[in-house]
Amino acid sequence: MTASPGTAGSDLENLYRAHHGWIRQWLQRKLGNAHDAAELAQDVFVRLLTKPRAFNDHEHARAYLGRMSRNACVDFWRRRRVEQAYLDVLAAQPEQLAPSLEQQAVILETLEQLQAMFERMPKRVADAFSMAQLQGMKQREIAEQLGVSERSVNSYLAQAMYQCLLLEAELDDSLA
Amino acid sequence: MSRGQLDHGVLQAAAGWFARLHAAGHDAATLAQWQAWLTEDARHRLAWSYVENINQRFGNLDGQAELARQVFDNARSHRQSRRAVLGSLCVAGAAGVLGWGGWQRGWVDSPRAWFATYRTGLGDVRPLTLADGSQLWLNGGTALDVQFDEGVRQLRLYRGEILIETGEDSRPLFVETRAGRMRPLGTRFSVRDQGLATTLSVFAGSVQATCAGSGVRTTLGAGQMLVFDAQQAGASTAAQALRQDWSRGVLVAEDMPLGQVVDVLREHRHGHLGIDPVLNNLRAVGTFPLLDTDRTLAMLERALPIRVVRTLPWWVSIEAR
Repeated sequence: MTASPGTAGSDLENLYRAHHGWIRQWLQRKLGNAHDAAELAQDVFVRLLTKPRAFNDHEHARAYLGRMSRNACVDFWRRRRVEQAYLDVLAAQPEQLAPSLEQQAVILETLEQLQAMFERMPKRVADAFSMAQLQGMKQREIAEQLGVSERSVNSYLAQAMYQCLLLEAELDDSLA
Repeated sequence: MSRGQLDHGVLQAAAGWFARLHAAGHDAATLAQWQAWLTEDARHRLAWSYVENINQRFGNLDGQAELARQVFDNARSHRQSRRAVLGSLCVAGAAGVLGWGGWQRGWVDSPRAWFATYRTGLGDVRPLTLADGSQLWLNGGTALDVQFDEGVRQLRLYRGEILIETGEDSRPLFVETRAGRMRPLGTRFSVRDQGLATTLSVFAGSVQATCAGSGVRTTLGAGQMLVFDAQQAGASTAAQALRQDWSRGVLVAEDMPLGQVVDVLREHRHGHLGIDPVLNNLRAVGTFPLLDTDRTLAMLERALPIRVVRTLPWWVSIEAR
């Protein structure tokens, strides 16, 4: 990714005019739903507004926006999936154990963020990371449970954190 | 601005330290080496602040480990069946910015905080009764260890804030922060860790504070507040009610400058909350729901000549109307 001097207001307007239509149609085909498609298409442009960039030509913009739309779609499905899984688990719990609505909102948002991180990792690495971070297990205990050496667990945890840091640095635009 | 400062090597090093510290726990030698690495370079500290962000997220799920495990298991199995629907979509590439807290938190605490027995996420206030009957409230973003043995009751505050009503017990009670040590005498008080400095507010009884480095001692009575660090203590001032109101989940503003209200709200929400500096001195009056900061903002918007602009769910700024 190259840094850019920014997408000025009028540029953004032109981009919107040239691309919003097909993005919305593409999303609608993927999602099968006009309302969600309209929202996600909007999100794509909001994202462009917060992380402006310049394009060489029409094709360049199209390729980039296509990638953003695909990502928006992946995020959307993930949110749905995590939300559904969360509601299923809550439904199976006795009611008095359910967290307050405010807590639920924080928990759900956190679960979505973590799921996005876990999806970038091999399963074994994600499992080790979740055992360490969520269940507070020591590396020796994780090693026993996964049937690998402690040295492997240590390297799994470093890998997992590295993936998370990459994502964090991308969001913060701090990677050289 | 942190644009383009980091390379993969620095991130890898930070991740390596995370794994090493996780293995070593409280081992002093490893902690010292890690400290040295941090001190070496501002980029190391930036990378480490990301490690903190990520740990903070896990802190939000504290006490919900079983639920989280089930959700991730479920989400994973849903994912297999979704593959067909997703078709050509691939998961690689930058994950979504929206809904992500790309917020920047200062580098504040040591890895000890992650292994602390009690941790709360932002926007979460939790009551806690200790074995001696002491009543404790943990403010959002707090990490605390409690250690009771035959001769002494010890609380270690790594970050955040606690409010304490001490129980009857013959053993002395100590609260420790990086700045120093506090010893209460039958009392109600709050301790807020702000990195190098600690704010002590006493609401009943008295508390003796000792600076960790210089050993300077100050005794504080009811209604007083003190800010101190490892070397010195400031002059005591009047205690602020807001340093205990949070335990009831409210913010009571009596003619409070808006800038200060925003500072308090920031302690309780993720993401960026900005304010146009010209609005800092507007006065807010009322009782606000501290744990529902969006509602508080809406209430302020109705009462004052301000506009709350939501660029993104986690990027909110307060502007003049």
